[in-house]
This record gives sequence, C-alpha cells and structure tokens, in this order.
Amino acid sequence: MAVEEHSQDIGSIILHHVSNSDVLVQLPPLFGLDISITKHVLMLWLAGAVVTAGFLLGSRRYRTQENPVPSGFSNFLEFIVDFVHNQIVIPHIGPAHARSWSPLILTFFTLIVTANLLGLVPLFDLIPGGGTATANLNVTASLAAITFFAIIVAGSRVHGVFGHWRNMAPPGIAWPVLFILIPIELLSMFVRPFALTMRLAANMTAGHIAMLAILAPIFLMANAWIGLGSVALNVGISFLEIIVSLVQAYVFSLLSAVFIGAAINPQH
Amino acid sequence: MEQLVRFDPGLIFWTWVTFFVVLAILARKAWGPMIDALEKREAGIKAALAAADRAKAQAQEATVQYEQQLQDGRREAQQLVADARTIAEQLRGDLEKDARRQAEELLASARAQIAADRDRALRDIQATVVDLSVEIAGKVVERNLSTADNRKLAEDTLSRIGKA
Repeated sequence: MAVEEHSQDIGSIILHHVSNSDVLVQLPPLFGLDISITKHVLMLWLAGAVVTAGFLLGSRRYRTQENPVPSGFSNFLEFIVDFVHNQIVIPHIGPAHARSWSPLILTFFTLIVTANLLGLVPLFDLIPGGGTATANLNVTASLAAITFFAIIVAGSRVHGVFGHWRNMAPPGIAWPVLFILIPIELLSMFVRPFALTMRLAANMTAGHIAMLAILAPIFLMANAWIGLGSVALNVGISFLEIIVSLVQAYVFSLLSAVFIGAAINPQH
Repeated sequence: MEQLVRFDPGLIFWTWVTFFVVLAILARKAWGPMIDALEKREAGIKAALAAADRAKAQAQEATVQYEQQLQDGRREAQQLVADARTIAEQLRGDLEKDARRQAEELLASARAQIAADRDRALRDIQATVVDLSVEIAGKVVERNLSTADNRKLAEDTLSRIGKA
C-alpha cells in the first residue's frame, strides 16, 4: 500500500522534474501573450548569457589582432567554430554560402549544447521545475521553426521566391507524378522541423526520466543500500548524457544545415 | 503528462528573443572575426605550402643547373689543362728545335770563321815568306849573283818554306 502511494508520488516528482516550473516572475502580457518568466526561460537566458559571454571574452584577440594565434580558451572556441564551419556548414551548404549561414548554425549548436549541459547540473534543481530548457517542446519547436523559415529564406535568396517553390519538383518529370510529389514535399517541409523538435526534446527528457527512475527505488524501498547501485548506474548514465547532449546539439545543427543546403542546392 | 506538452507562447517568445540576441551579438563580434581569421589562416597556409612547393622546385632546378655548371666547369678546366699541356709541349719542342738550330748555326759560323781566319793567316804567312825570301834573295843576289851555290841555297830555302 505504502509502495503504491510512493510510486504515484515518484511519478509526479519525475514529471515535475522534467517539466517547466510555474511562473517565477509575472510580467505584463505582450500582445495578449503571457511572457512571464519560468524556469526554462531562465535556463535559456543563462545558456544565452554563457555562450555570449564566453565567445565575447574568448574572441577578443580576433577583433583586435591582424593575425590572431589562439591559445587556451580561445583555442577551444576556435575548435568549435572551425568544426561547425568546416565540418557542418561547408560540406552541406557549400563554400559559396557558408559565410552567410555559419552564424545561424553556430548559434544553434552553441546555444543547444550549452542548454543541454546546463540541464545536467543538479545545482539548478534547487529552483523548482526541470533544468533542461531544450527538454521543453516549446523551446525545441521555436528553434525548429527558425530552421523552417531559414530553409525558405535560403532557397528564396538563391533561386527567387518562385524558384524556391518550383524546386520542390525536379524539372522534367511527368505531370501526373506531381500529384503525389507535391503533397509529399509539402508534408516533408513540416515533418522535418517536427522531427527536429521531437528528437531534441525527447532525448533531453528521456535521460532525466531514466536517471530519476533509477534513483526512485531508494525511496520506494526505503533502503539506502539500493543507493549504491542506483548512484553507480546514474554516474554512468550521466556520462552518457554528456555524450547525448553533444550529439543532439550536433544532430540539430547538422540537419538544419542539411535542410538549408538542400534548399540552396536542390539538384543534390 | 499534459504538462510535458503544454503550449507556452511566452517560452516560444523568449526562445526567439534569446536566440536572435545571441545570434546578433556573436555574429558581429565573435563568429564573423573568428571565421575570417580561420579562412585567412587557411588561405595563408595554402599560399605558404604552394610557395614552399615552388621554392622546392626552384631549388631542385637550381641544384640541377648548378651540377650541370659544375660538370661543364670541370670539363672546361680539364680541356684547358689538356690544351695548355699540348701547347706547352709544342712550345718546348719548338724551343728545343730553335735552340738546336741556333747552336748549329753558331757552330757552323764559328767553324767558317776559324777556317777563314786560318786561311787568312796562311795567306799572311805565305806573303811574309815570299817577302822574306825575296829579301833574302835580294841580299844573296846582291852579294854574289853568279855563284851557283848561292842560287842553290836560295832555292832550297824557298822550297823549305813552301813545304812548311
């Protein structure tokens, strides 16, 4: 009986942990929208602040020196910029348009990876609600919407507004095929950002749920010895979560670049 | 469960605000300069590598040329030494020949001179003898021209001188 009560508690605790908090700071509505500050807004701001401050500090010599030679922290930042620019953007968007789209993909990558990793820090659990902003579907959907519009902007800039939409159907195909192709293409236009949304949020949520579920038996059984196994397992999962945080940020950035690149080079 | 999929327009708004603020600041202040620096460095490295390749090719070409020149020089020097030796030997032969010829000429002229001197001396002696004999003869004739013994004496004297 007691175990059942506990298990319901545990379930709600876990859900509470991976969900956004209630409103922390009430703000007046903007155009009828409630823009009050919740924990995920705070975590997002924190991620943005960490990324902005880190890159502003680490890139000082790039703004002041003619031929900057990186060292220490700026070397690490340069590695990130070099990785995104040369391994993600140039191969998938092409060298001609890389310079215009690298900042967007870099913002995706750095902001998502920072938000993912900040979500792993237990310290933020002192504030009620879940700590991972990128586990929230609203956040990932907003980011995926940016990719959605970036694809249209990228295609329209290179091929013109009509040219971009015409690229949905490859030239020279029989017209009856269009009846199948156009709905599929329209569907894929929305499926792509939807997949981005779900993949990132689900991955970020799943790890936390797993870790909490592994800790739960300690309280369910009211036995501290179970903690030995649970904690050991969770240490391992934490390492896995670090990898997942990096991989999911990489996947989101990579797929955004691939989609933008496909709009720019539709023949590929 | 519905709290996991709750629609939250405020969060969407702040996600976009955060994203575009970060993008606007960093694109201008960090990523632009960093990508520029990366591309510049890459171009610099490519240029340096190309320059190094060119320099290497030039160095190899220069080495080949240098070796060629060295060989040419060596061959020329050998040719020069060989020519000089030939010329020197020719010169020595000529000089020897000249010297021999001159010596022979000198010897011949000396011999001729000696012969001429001897002939002249002989002629002088003969003349002197004739003068002496004429004088003797005169003296003998002066004393006794008729005596047959005297005459004989004079002839004997003459013949002796003639033999001498």
